[in-house]
Amino acid sequence: MGMPRMTLQTQLVLRALLEAPAKQRYGLELCELAGLPSGTIYPILARLEQVGWLDSSWEDPTVHEAAGRPRRRFYRITQNGAEQARDALARAYRSRKQPLPGWAAAHPAAGGGAS
Amino acid sequence: MKGQRRVIVPSPTAQTDLTPTLENVIAAVRSHHSDADAGLLERAYAEASIWHTGQRRHSGDPYITHCLAVAAIVADLRMPLPVVCAALLHDVDDTACPPQRIADQFGKEVADLIAAVRTAVVSAYPQAGRGTAPRSAAACPSREMAVLAIRLADRLHNMRTIAFVAPAKQLLKARETLDVFAPVASAAGLETVGRELQDLASAVLQPAPSSYAVSGWLLTALTLLLPSGHRARWQEEWSADLAAYATRRARTRFTLRVLLGAPRLSMTLRSPFCRERR
Repeated sequence: MGMPRMTLQTQLVLRALLEAPAKQRYGLELCELAGLPSGTIYPILARLEQVGWLDSSWEDPTVHEAAGRPRRRFYRITQNGAEQARDALARAYRSRKQPLPGWAAAHPAAGGGAS
Repeated sequence: MKGQRRVIVPSPTAQTDLTPTLENVIAAVRSHHSDADAGLLERAYAEASIWHTGQRRHSGDPYITHCLAVAAIVADLRMPLPVVCAALLHDVDDTACPPQRIADQFGKEVADLIAAVRTAVVSAYPQAGRGTAPRSAAACPSREMAVLAIRLADRLHNMRTIAFVAPAKQLLKARETLDVFAPVASAAGLETVGRELQDLASAVLQPAPSSYAVSGWLLTALTLLLPSGHRARWQEEWSADLAAYATRRARTRFTLRVLLGAPRLSMTLRSPFCRERR
């Protein structure tokens, strides 16, 4: 329940958010920061928000009205989210290293452990 | 259960994002008329909720959200309590509500207002250019002014949510809004309403480059894949991001990728942990 799936894309998004955890970012901006193709980020954001790692809010009307464009939805990583994201990223990093190439071939029955 | 970690705390802005609540409406009325009877508003809200049960807006939102939104706009225009009640109840005549009931429950003034709102011809009001209309609507607006405020608020909320209406009807409504409602609002001294109506209508009638309209329309259609309570938010979020692209190609690419991600987004939003966030 409390954990999003740590896909590569999710990891990229979290990394981008953690670069400046206090900063509010909108979807498109995050997409670019994370190096993801445009438009692919929304399911990830929704999921992260759902588990409480992100908070979102609408842009201040004075800002977007002055800029003459529609209001944006801003996301920010929560404190709890930042902690958990760091943990999860570290775990994902370790697990990626785990099945060493030679090891997996030598013990086919144990292959994987990937989740 | 308790010790672990904090999960899903609704942010303070989560509620006010999309639709005003009854509390917002009461607060708005009270801020201009401190002695207003909140009980009456609560009863009007309950009454409207009953008759609009099961009805939906084009966006998929429950119909009552429209009643609340209109009431909130009217309250922000400093209209007194009976006018805000009439705004909450302005569409019950279209429901199974017996004709005499509103007069019995809320008095003749409210019932008359609702009847007048239905029959009012907005184009008959003075339009911008000649400023003979009553300026401020404050404490004791004329009945005409009250009726106009409800009609304008009704149109304003319909224009704010027009993305969900069929394209041909959008154009018709936008044209009428631009030609009639916006000038009447400005002439009545309701400049903010007039300006917003004008902006919303213009956006429908002259969307920037041609493919912007197509992508925007497709994005709106995509929101239909999402659970109803979430559509307005994502539609708005996507359009804002879409608007940042300068080329037609980039916009098309963006839209297609949103399309590819929509099933997953929809699944996420439908999962049981998503209840509290909108």
